[in-house]
Amino acid sequence: MTKIELACDLEGNFIAFRTETLANVGAYLSNFSTVTPTFLHGTLMAGPYKVPNVYVNVKTVFTNTAPVDAYRGAGRPEATYSLERVVDKMCRELGLDPFEVRRKNFVTTDMFPYTTPVALAYDTGDYHATLDKVMEMADVAGFEKRRAASAAKGKLRGMGLSTWIEACGIAPSHLVGILGARVGLYDAATVRVNATGNLSVMVGAHSHGQGHETVFAQIVADKLGIPESSVEIVHGDTAKIPFGMGSYGSRSLAVCGSAMSKAVDKIIAKGKKIAAHMLEAAEGDITFEDGKFSVAGTDKAKTFGEIAFSAYVPHNYPLETLEPGLEETAFYDPANFTYPAGAYLCEVEVDEGTGKVDVVAFHCADDFGNIMNPMIVEGQVHGGVGQGIGQALCEFTTYDENGQLLTGSYMDYAMPRAEDVPFYNVDYSCQTPCTHNPLGVKGCGEAGAIGSPPAVVNAVIDALQRGGHKHVTHIDMPVSPSRVWTAMNA
Amino acid sequence: MHNFDFVKPATIADAVKALGADGAQPLSGGQTLIPTMKQRLAAPTVLVSLTGIGEMKGVCMGDGGLHIGAATSHAVVAQEAASSYPALAALAGGIGDPAVRNKGTIGGSLANNDPAACYPSAVLASGATVVTNKRKIAADDYFQGMFSTALAEGEIITSVIFPIPQKAAYVKFNQPASRFALTAVFVAKYAGGVRVAVTGASAGGVFRWAEAEAALSSNFSASAIAGLSADASDMIGDLHGTQAYRANLVKVLTGRAVTAAG
Repeated sequence: MTKIELACDLEGNFIAFRTETLANVGAYLSNFSTVTPTFLHGTLMAGPYKVPNVYVNVKTVFTNTAPVDAYRGAGRPEATYSLERVVDKMCRELGLDPFEVRRKNFVTTDMFPYTTPVALAYDTGDYHATLDKVMEMADVAGFEKRRAASAAKGKLRGMGLSTWIEACGIAPSHLVGILGARVGLYDAATVRVNATGNLSVMVGAHSHGQGHETVFAQIVADKLGIPESSVEIVHGDTAKIPFGMGSYGSRSLAVCGSAMSKAVDKIIAKGKKIAAHMLEAAEGDITFEDGKFSVAGTDKAKTFGEIAFSAYVPHNYPLETLEPGLEETAFYDPANFTYPAGAYLCEVEVDEGTGKVDVVAFHCADDFGNIMNPMIVEGQVHGGVGQGIGQALCEFTTYDENGQLLTGSYMDYAMPRAEDVPFYNVDYSCQTPCTHNPLGVKGCGEAGAIGSPPAVVNAVIDALQRGGHKHVTHIDMPVSPSRVWTAMNA
Repeated sequence: MHNFDFVKPATIADAVKALGADGAQPLSGGQTLIPTMKQRLAAPTVLVSLTGIGEMKGVCMGDGGLHIGAATSHAVVAQEAASSYPALAALAGGIGDPAVRNKGTIGGSLANNDPAACYPSAVLASGATVVTNKRKIAADDYFQGMFSTALAEGEIITSVIFPIPQKAAYVKFNQPASRFALTAVFVAKYAGGVRVAVTGASAGGVFRWAEAEAALSSNFSASAIAGLSADASDMIGDLHGTQAYRANLVKVLTGRAVTAAG
């Protein structure tokens, strides 16, 4: 349970955010149960805003309910939800434009790297760009026409905004150590160029649907100028892979992908030594491009395949200074989190008779830094937003007073179905590359689930307000039909 | 799931005989009984399948209206009743999902009488007749509260006869998780008057909303019930909706059903 307060001047410039949270961790501790409501949540309580004062007090409490652990976004959806709801409420109370208020409070591009009052140092971003983009995508100017069309069908239409940021790609080991974690949070990859010329890449991050097999292979192939089909990604078998830390916290590409990129760099560096020997040139004169090692300024060159062959059949090879074989491992511990951010805009229709909410449009303008595979990024956003819509509208875990779970099966725990979500409109063209990892990427796995719930709830409140239900200023998630109807008729 | 014997008779007589065995239980589409057995909440020693009995299947017009064999699946009703009783066909086509509709049967639904099932509302609003191997039971006498019916031990529903209304519609509001009816209303207009049956809302199971029936019998339009309100004290209140919410749904959905019926 979180209570949040916002202080601002009459023009809507934020002065302070203050939150008091009681976090239920259930009857026993589990891995991330106290981490989630404390440092994953508290350190994000400045949002994308240049607010000078942030106060966060979290008490975790044991209760008679089930233990809890991290869920997509883990602490960051809660931070985003409370911030974006209170900003929305403040705009309504002061009669200010929610777009303009966010715009005037954003950290601006000239302020990076920007250290927030709650310890994080955002490396880069452009929050105005994603807000501008989402307003264009959503045709904000045309809202009134759409609202009238909904009204003609007997539905109340509302529009809700959420401008979100998160810290992911976890994590700098030294930082989580300071925060009390007892693990390192690096990752690792081994790139083995096989004697046959294909590659086996052993990675610490596990792929269970995220598409690492595609993206990781794509990165290796692109760096080496070879076909993606020559690269096999090996994961999940701890007898085969180097010691990594796994997939969570939107870290696989930013952390493990970076380790892999560094291992490929080592392969290229060793390849240059071999090429220098074979081409009888100085190592410093060897360049590598499009799968070829060349002597700069000449047409003398060896292909990647020839170099790999030479490493395993070292007949003409600098054995006195260089080991044969072509296999490299790299461990990578990031210097900072990555800070993806974006602006989400949701439109809903509310059925006044039943309180049912239909999400009729959802627009996402995200900044994930460099994009490696657009289709996979879109898929992650779709899944995350779907999960966030589920959380906003229907998912609910509840107990009776004896700690007995009331939502113990899918007969009572409501998961969103395909019919509950709209066709998403996703954009990732605003790109401020991460400044501290070699790929310039930011995590995208949790973003949708972090940014979407307040956009939905803000839209529902907006619909009710526009529909004349002025007394309804907040409804707790899930904004189920019963809760919406009850709020309207209170 | 515990062990059990399985028999699949071809005639009603053989089914009745098989049900005489100790611990025998009839099985139709199995959409409730099988999950219950899987959770070991039921452990019949013999399951007597009713889906191999030809005389219990099919949809046809006959004396008194539309005859539907008790072992007819929802999917078949959705298809074959579409021209004779569109509102009933639409109800059948909206039960569960395609897998449920291809296995579940009308007889199974009525024998179980789940308080949130769809079919009981159609049967009650249509003033249908539930035909068993022993007798004919009027809908008004058949439903006797949540999971409770007029069926005696060993009695099998063999068919249901629906008088065809002049106008009818079924409007369902889904429970968000199970997608059963949180509340649903079947409205049917006959020459003799209008019948309104509500499922999902009441702790007593399917019921007729008498005040709405009276109002709609004199004026079949949504505005006729504008001044009415359903009694919330009999409604179910749970995490999916308060009693007041369900009472509101009864009224809202009744109005929408009347409008949909045209």
